[in-house]
Amino acid sequence: MRIIIAGMGDVGYHLAKELSQDEHDIIAIDQDQQRLSYTDSMTDVLTITGSSTSIEILKEAKVDKADLFVGVTSTEAVNVASAILAKKLGAKKTIARISNAEYMEKETEKMFTELGIDFMIYPEELAAQETFNLINRTAATDVMEFEEGKLSVIGLRLDKNAPIIRKTVSEIAYEYQNFDFRIVALHRNFRTIIPMGKDKFLPNDQVFIITKPEGIEMVLKLAGKENIDFNNIMILGGSKIGRRVAKLLSDKMKVKLIESDEEKSLALADDLQDTLVIRGDGRDIDLLAQEGIIDVDAYIAVTDDAETNIISCLMAKHLGVTKAIALVDKADYIPLTQTIGLDSLINKKLLAANNISRFIRKGEILSLTSLEGIDAEVLEYIAQPNSPITKKPVKGLDFPKEAIIGGIIRGKESLIAVGDTKIRADDKVVIFLLPGAIKKIEKLFK
Amino acid sequence: MNFKVVLKVISLLLILTGLLMLSGIPFSIYYGDDDIIALIISAIITSSVGLLAWFGTRKSDDRELGKREGYLIVTFGWVSMALFGALPFLIYGAIPNYTDAFFETMSGFTTTGATILEDIEVIPHGLLFWRSLTQWLGGMGIIVLSIAILPLLGIGGMQLFAAEVPGVTKDKLHPRIKETAKRLWGIYVIFTFTEVVLLLVGGMSLFDAINHSFTTMATGGFSTKNASTAHFASPFIQYVFILFMFLAGMNFTLHYLGFHGKLSFFKHNTEFRTYLFFILGATLFITLLHLSEVAFNWEESVRQSLFHVISLVTTTGYVSSDYEHWAPFSRIIFFILLFVGGCAGSTGGGIKFVRHTLLFKNSILELKRLIHPRAVIPVRFNEKAVGPDIISNVQAFFIFYIMIFVFSAAILSLLGLDFFTAIGATATCLGNVGPGIGTVGPLNNFAHLPDIVKWILSFLMLLGRLELFTVLIIFSPVYWKS
Repeated sequence: MRIIIAGMGDVGYHLAKELSQDEHDIIAIDQDQQRLSYTDSMTDVLTITGSSTSIEILKEAKVDKADLFVGVTSTEAVNVASAILAKKLGAKKTIARISNAEYMEKETEKMFTELGIDFMIYPEELAAQETFNLINRTAATDVMEFEEGKLSVIGLRLDKNAPIIRKTVSEIAYEYQNFDFRIVALHRNFRTIIPMGKDKFLPNDQVFIITKPEGIEMVLKLAGKENIDFNNIMILGGSKIGRRVAKLLSDKMKVKLIESDEEKSLALADDLQDTLVIRGDGRDIDLLAQEGIIDVDAYIAVTDDAETNIISCLMAKHLGVTKAIALVDKADYIPLTQTIGLDSLINKKLLAANNISRFIRKGEILSLTSLEGIDAEVLEYIAQPNSPITKKPVKGLDFPKEAIIGGIIRGKESLIAVGDTKIRADDKVVIFLLPGAIKKIEKLFK
Repeated sequence: MNFKVVLKVISLLLILTGLLMLSGIPFSIYYGDDDIIALIISAIITSSVGLLAWFGTRKSDDRELGKREGYLIVTFGWVSMALFGALPFLIYGAIPNYTDAFFETMSGFTTTGATILEDIEVIPHGLLFWRSLTQWLGGMGIIVLSIAILPLLGIGGMQLFAAEVPGVTKDKLHPRIKETAKRLWGIYVIFTFTEVVLLLVGGMSLFDAINHSFTTMATGGFSTKNASTAHFASPFIQYVFILFMFLAGMNFTLHYLGFHGKLSFFKHNTEFRTYLFFILGATLFITLLHLSEVAFNWEESVRQSLFHVISLVTTTGYVSSDYEHWAPFSRIIFFILLFVGGCAGSTGGGIKFVRHTLLFKNSILELKRLIHPRAVIPVRFNEKAVGPDIISNVQAFFIFYIMIFVFSAAILSLLGLDFFTAIGATATCLGNVGPGIGTVGPLNNFAHLPDIVKWILSFLMLLGRLELFTVLIIFSPVYWKS
C-alpha cells in the first residue's frame, strides 16, 4: 500500500517505522527538516519537507495514487484540513487524529465521513480506556482482551518468589500441563524474545501470557501475584484523560482527582459529580498524606508533564500504594519503567499509532496491537479454508521462529494452542510476533 | 557495533562476487582461451570463504544493522571484494604479483581505470571480461545491486545505500530502498544494453562492445585494447562513447524522471546545467587552443576535445590521443579537470558538480554577507534554499579532499616519484579518473611504480569512490566510542 503520513511526531514516526517494516510504501511529510532526516536514517521511507495542507506538497507526494492518508501532526485543524484535501485530491482513505471527543460521536462522525475523513483517532480516549483496563486487572502491567474476553493476554513482571523463576519453558509446560496458558513473549534488558524450550525465566522479567478467562488467576499465581479489588483511586491531573478515567471509574470506586488549576478544578467538580476534586500540587507530600494516600489502592498520574507523572507515581509507590500508573508520552522513557519500579506506563501516542495500524491492516487480519514498550506485536488472523496453516498440527508447521501461536477462538469456544492443536478453517488465531515476521505469517494463512 | 551482522552482509557480497567471476567463461570458451580453470578456482575460493562466513553468522539479526555497521560493511565489503577479485589475475598468472593484481582490481571496482598491464591484448578474454565487469559492478555499486536482488532488510539497506551512493543528499526514486535500487540498476542496464547495440552498429565485435559499454557506463575507462579507444578509429564509435559517458556522468534520478517524460529538469536542475555548460565551455576552450597548435580539421578537433573533456570530467578516463603533447596550457587544463568529477548520483567519481556549485555560490554570497551582516542570504540550489548543514558537509568534504590530495602527493614524492607523476597519480586515483600526468600520463601505465605506492593509490581510489566520509569515519575515534 502507498501510505502518506503527515506529521513525524511520535505517532507518525512509530507508524512509519512499523508500516515500512511490513513493506508498505511510506511517504512522510513534515515541516521540520531535522525530524525528517532522523526518520530517514532510521526507517525506509520517502520524506518530503513542507506543510501537509499545501496542495503542491500533497501533489508532490502523489496523493492521487495514495491508498491512505494519515494526518497525525500535533494540530487537530491541520490534520482535519489535510485529510479533507487529500481525499479531494484522490487519496482512497483518510485518517485524522483529533483532540475533541465531540467529533467521535456517531452523528458527527457521519458528517466527517461526508467531508472525506474515513477514520478519526482520539488518543486521549484510548489512553483512558487502557487505564481503565489496567485498574480492573490490578496485578498486570498490560492487559489485552480478544473476542470480549474469551482470550486474554496479560503482561506481568515476575516476582522473586514466583514459582516459575529459573525454570525453562519446557519444564513449566510439563509441570503445569493441566492448565491452559502459554507464555508468548519475554522482555529482558530492552530486548524482546519469543521464549522457546530452553529459555529460562528470571526475576523482574516482563512476560506476556495468553490464557482463557478461568486461567487468569492461575497465571497471576505463576508470576507470584494476586489480583486485588481496588476501592480507592487517586488521579493526578484533570486533563481530558484524567476526566475520562474519573468518569469510567467513579461508578464502582471512590475516586479523588487532584488538579492544580483553579478554574479547571471548578469545571471538573461541576462535571464529575461522583468524584472528589481537590485543588493542589500532586508533588506535595503533605497534601497527599492529608487526602489519605495511605489508603489509596491505585494512583494514576495523567498530567501533561511526563516527568511530574513519573515522580509523583514513584512517590505514591514509596508511600505504599499498590499500583501506580503514569501517563508518559515520551517513548524514550518507556524502557525505564522496569528499572525505576513503576507498574505501568500509558503512552497515548503509541496507543494512537497502534490503533491506526490496526485500521490499516484490517482485512484478513482482524486486529493488531503492539505490546507497549516492547518489540512484539499481537495479530488476530482468520484461517482461510485450505490455507497451509490448517493442514498440519501446530508443531508440524513450518512456523517462523520469530512468532508463536497463542490461542484460537473457534465459534464460542476458545483454546490455548499446544503442539498438537490443529487449526481449522475460519478459526480466529491469535499470534505473537516480532517485527518483520508478518509476511511469512501471511503466507501461512492464505 | 554488531560485527556478526557486518560479517554476514560481507559474506553475502563475497558469494555474489564469486558467482559473478564465472560470467566471463562463455567468452573464454568461444575464443578457446585457457583461463577457465583460473576463473573457476577463484570463484570457488571466493564463494566458499563467503559461504563459511555466512554459515557462522547467518543467525544474526538484520535489525541490528545501524549507521555504524553500514559504514563498516561498505568499506570492508569493498576491500574484501578487491582482495578476492584479484584472484583470477593472480591464479592465471596474467598478473603474477599480488600487489599489482589488487591494484588492478581496486582500480576496476572503484571505476578508476588506472592499469598496471603493459600489454592488455595478451590477456585471455574471460579475464578481460572480469576486469571490465568489476568496473560495471562498481559503477552503480555492488551494494546497491545487493539491495536490489538480495533479501536485505529495508532499514539496514538504507544505511548501506547512503554509505555507497555518491552525492550530498541521497535521492530516493521510490519510498522503498529496495525499489529505488532496482530502478537505478534497471536504468543502468538499459543504458548499457543500448550502448552495446550502438557499438555493434559501429562495427565493434560483441566482446569489445560489451566490455566497452561496461566501462563507459561505469565511467571506468578500462579498455580491451592497448591503444584504448584510439584503437577504434571510427568517429561514430567515438560519438557513441561521448554520448554514454555524458549520460553516465549525470544524476540517475534525472534519467528516471526523463523516462517518465519529465524533462523540466533541464531548466530547474542547477547541477545538470552547470555540468552541461561546463563541458561545453571547456570543450570550446580546448578546441581553440588545439586549433592554434595543429592544423586539424574542425570536426575532428571539436570531437577530440569534447571526448577528452567528457572523459576526464565524468572520471571515465578513456584516451584517444596523447593530450600531454597538446599545447602546454591544455595540460594544466586537463590536470584541473581531474578535480571536477561527475554529478551527484552518477557513476562518476571526483568532487562532483553539486559540491563545486554549492561552494562557489556560497563563497560569492559570503561577499554579500560581509556588506549586509544581518541579512539572511541562503545558497539557492535547484531553486530551493540549501540549509547550513549541507554547506558545512560540503565544505568538510572539500577540505578533506584537498588535504588528502596534498598529503598523499607529498608522500608519493617522498617515495621517489617526480613532481608531475606524484600529483598526477594522486589526483587521478583519488578522483577515480584513470590517466594522470607525468609518467602516469594517458599513454603510460602504473606498472613501474613501487609496490608501496600502489597500495597507497589503491587506498586513495577506495576513498574517492566511497566519497571519503564512509572510509574516514572508521578511522575516527568517535566512531568506535559507543
